[in-house]
Amino acid sequence: MSTAAETRTVPTAAIHEGFLAHARFRYFKLASLLCVLAVAVYWWDDPADGPNGGTWLGYTLGTVGALLIVWLTLLGWRKRDYSSRLGTVRGWLSAHVYLGLSLITIATLHTGFHFGWNVHTLSYVLMLLVIASGVYGTIVYARYPTLITVNRDQSTREAWLAELDELNEQSLKLADALDTQVHQIIVQSIDRIRIGGGLRAQLFGPREPLRKAFAQVEKELGMTTRFMATKLRAQPSMRSLGPDESSTVSFMAGQLVGGSHDNESAQKLLDLVARRRDIAGRINRDIRLHAQMQVWLYIHVPLTFALLAALLAHILSVFIYW
Amino acid sequence: MGESFKIAVIGSGPAGLSAAARAAELGLSHVLLEAEAHLSNTIYRYQKGKYVMAEPAILPLRSPVSFAAGKREQILETWNRESDGLKVNRRLRSEVTGVSGTRGAFCLKLADDSVIRAEHVVLAIGLQGNIRKLGCPGEDAAFVQYQLDDPDEYNDETIVVIGAGDAAIENAMALCERNKVIVVNRRDEFDRAKAANNAAILKAIADGRIQCFYNSGPRKAEDQPGRRPRGLIILNTASGEVHLPCDRVIARLGATPPRKFVEGCGVAFPTADVTSLPAVSATYESNVAGLYIIGALAGFPLIKQAMNQGYEVVEFIQGHNVEPADEPLLRGKFGAMPGFRTVDAALELVQRRVPVLAPLTRLQLREFLLDSELRLPQQGEVIFERNAYSDSFYSIVNGQVDIELVGGKATRTVTLGPGEFFGEMSLISGRRRSATVHAGPNCMLVETPRRSMNKLIYSIPAVKRVLDQSFLSRAIQAAIAPERPPVALQSLIATASVLAFKPGEHLFREGEPGDCLHLIRKGSVTISRHMDGRDVVLAYVPAGQYVGEMALVSNIPRSATVTAAVATETIRIDGEAFKAMLAQDPPVKARVEEIYKNRLARNVSALQQPERGGVIGFLMAQGVGEATDVLLIDESLCVRCDQCEKACTDTHGGLSRLNREAGPTFENLHVPTSCRHCEHPHCMKDCPPDAIKRAPNGEVFISDACIGCGNCQRNCPYGVIQMGVESKTRPSLWRWMLFGGREPGLQDHAHHDHGDVPKKAAKCDMCKSLPGGPACVRACPTGAARRVSPEQFLRVARKE
Repeated sequence: MSTAAETRTVPTAAIHEGFLAHARFRYFKLASLLCVLAVAVYWWDDPADGPNGGTWLGYTLGTVGALLIVWLTLLGWRKRDYSSRLGTVRGWLSAHVYLGLSLITIATLHTGFHFGWNVHTLSYVLMLLVIASGVYGTIVYARYPTLITVNRDQSTREAWLAELDELNEQSLKLADALDTQVHQIIVQSIDRIRIGGGLRAQLFGPREPLRKAFAQVEKELGMTTRFMATKLRAQPSMRSLGPDESSTVSFMAGQLVGGSHDNESAQKLLDLVARRRDIAGRINRDIRLHAQMQVWLYIHVPLTFALLAALLAHILSVFIYW
Repeated sequence: MGESFKIAVIGSGPAGLSAAARAAELGLSHVLLEAEAHLSNTIYRYQKGKYVMAEPAILPLRSPVSFAAGKREQILETWNRESDGLKVNRRLRSEVTGVSGTRGAFCLKLADDSVIRAEHVVLAIGLQGNIRKLGCPGEDAAFVQYQLDDPDEYNDETIVVIGAGDAAIENAMALCERNKVIVVNRRDEFDRAKAANNAAILKAIADGRIQCFYNSGPRKAEDQPGRRPRGLIILNTASGEVHLPCDRVIARLGATPPRKFVEGCGVAFPTADVTSLPAVSATYESNVAGLYIIGALAGFPLIKQAMNQGYEVVEFIQGHNVEPADEPLLRGKFGAMPGFRTVDAALELVQRRVPVLAPLTRLQLREFLLDSELRLPQQGEVIFERNAYSDSFYSIVNGQVDIELVGGKATRTVTLGPGEFFGEMSLISGRRRSATVHAGPNCMLVETPRRSMNKLIYSIPAVKRVLDQSFLSRAIQAAIAPERPPVALQSLIATASVLAFKPGEHLFREGEPGDCLHLIRKGSVTISRHMDGRDVVLAYVPAGQYVGEMALVSNIPRSATVTAAVATETIRIDGEAFKAMLAQDPPVKARVEEIYKNRLARNVSALQQPERGGVIGFLMAQGVGEATDVLLIDESLCVRCDQCEKACTDTHGGLSRLNREAGPTFENLHVPTSCRHCEHPHCMKDCPPDAIKRAPNGEVFISDACIGCGNCQRNCPYGVIQMGVESKTRPSLWRWMLFGGREPGLQDHAHHDHGDVPKKAAKCDMCKSLPGGPACVRACPTGAARRVSPEQFLRVARKE
């Protein structure tokens, strides 16, 4: 995995228009207008007991905000209503993002900057959390798709898994021909490859980092070859091939036996192991990128429902106890 | 010498079986000759449990043997039982190798050199041809088989697969998981097979999963009763004889097409085209008196049609005049004709009025008109609009039509009268209508769908000639000088000829002298230039436009290479004649020069952004050159949520026609596995019930008439058609949101173990039934998915 490749920018085809730029930023303009209007009225309005949620403006902003929150939640319904003719999902998402952001202004002005340890402020905080998770989502939606494409490098996960199987098979065959000990190491290394896993593994990579697992394989391979070389050195005819203690695995493999055929096999085996590591790494990175791109929704959506509940409590309590 | 019958029927498929059954029912002396060891080989070879449809539903069945849609086994069982009951005189394993003679005195030679005499011969051998056998002693031994139903039936056997085509490779690959498989290839490579199969088998051989004998063939097959394994096959190999004991030999050597045999009987084919079929009279008689042809070989591929013909042909031989089974259908179609008396009279009127139909036999005419519709539009009514995507063909029986030709800013109206035809431009180019057509007074038209028209073009050379001629002059006029009458372009049209190019073939190359203009009539081309040691694609030019004018206008050598992106046909126009025409016609010259300047400017801007050329080249390689509408995903926007697939699933009976992840990617542009709605759809090529149609807006869709044969799936080079069962119910979003259960947009797996429900072909229909466009695009939250036509794509790209 080269980091250079990750930062490479890929030219975008000109036929597509992202959701942020939808309809020439129509909803960005609308949301901005809404915010400017709200700030202007807030500025102009001068209620007797200071700005708060109970003034006419406070009620207006509160109603607008609550309606916006309910409408924003409806995106989850619209995106599953696949035959709906009510605008495109792209338009809805564009509006969702910009109007959602405008809530920061509207709800903040609604509070009149009165905060406390109560259900009202809880609603406000939950709303900010929902928006924050949404902002994170917008950022990863802008960034991760390209990262995934670059990591994929025109391949697919299925093709990778097939190649991995193929490489495993080939390396076992090669190892089998070399030595039983080498074979055992390869078998172990195959067992040790971790692809995906639970939530944690998906988000941050498998528990046993691949790098470590492969380092282990290489170390063990090296030890075996060294062991073999020692054995060989015991034979008088091989003594001239004295080992170098600090040599690399491939050098040790090269030392394995004098014969060029096995030498070649050992080299090939190491190449296979390296390729396997690369592919397993790419698959795990692919899984990780996908997981990181989607995980925020598992926060955003439950928080939204918490917000709706708190909002309901906030509105009810206002009407009952005020 | 030899037995003698009144009627000899060759081939025991639906047509032949029905004919023999009718003869038996009437007590006529007859014989039914079948080359295989069972009746109805084509259906016998269907996979186990395959559901056979009974299209067209409106056509009544008229045969002593019954037939209704059902499983292969049921149908074969019924036919066997009923033909036994009728005492049909059938002879299995009786391959006819030649027919000679004429009415009253036919002589049929069989493969075992015996001879059968007959007064009449009914040829009902279909189009599948005879399966090629081993061609050595023991080819019919019990352990030798010529098909493979279910590879999972065999375990731990030694199986010898003979052949090197796709069928042999696919069988060998499927069997080698659980059996020892040995492949015998007569040559030293597998290059006749598809690239994927070739690679797969070479890899399996390299891995030692399959053993292969190259340059080898069978010499003898021997049963070894009581021994294991039960068979022995002896091969001739490059290094001598090899004895292989085996449990099973599977030979997949293809089939011999029937044409040679049929021609050997004296029957003439109208053209050399492979799809050409022999012409028969209204009584199914061929040009050989007393020799009748029915079923698929006569151009009637559906089972019910073939069975009806079997019944009718025996009646005709008996001298009875039966009303054809389609008579009521034709009456229903043409009954609306002013002054209608009988179907025959109506058909005759149509044929007399429309010269292009003159060469048709009465039977061809009946079938042609059965597929067609009578249209009686009011004066002024629009028959089709310019840029609509319909592709049917219209013949004018009565009255007239006005065609509005648009050329630059000017419009010119051409009036066509009785006997003339229109609509052939879209038929040939596969592109949108080039003009709007209005009905004139007393207009009576016959509208014929694309497939029937193509069938006619391929089987009657005279029809093809007339259409080609007319296309040539109308296309040249439309593309170069729409405001001029065809007469003014006569000198140009006289030099024109039609050329065909394979994909990748060059129309001309950079640096060559320019001596002609190519008007693309079918397919599309790319324009490229050689730069820095590689070809840079500058532009894509679809059918209906011309290329090559630059060298003619500027008198310099070709400035770019033009290559066919897909199978392409062009009208070549001589350069000198073109220049002469321009010299005489300043307004046309000015327009050609205008196009030339635009192209020059576009090429210069294209050269400045060579990466665009890479995208065009990539898209062309994905078949976009023959597409009318293609789904493109911008991967830098795609968040892999699969909303597009879910939307497709939800709006199409729980069966997605789109695979987002599959398909190639170039930089950020991803072409998922999804229908391209080709100009000349490959899927339409061989659809027995003609169930694949093109809607006016260009969508290629499959109608309910689908019989689930899978031909379209095999013919589609882009793998976008799948066989499946649509769910009748659609999950409710409200119920799912409130109570859970089936979520909209997810494939309904429970429903997919459908048991007896027949699978049908499913493909993208661009959601033509939903207002507002394709659901996949409407459901994409980020704007990553878009459906575009190639022209749109390139136009939008140029603005940048």
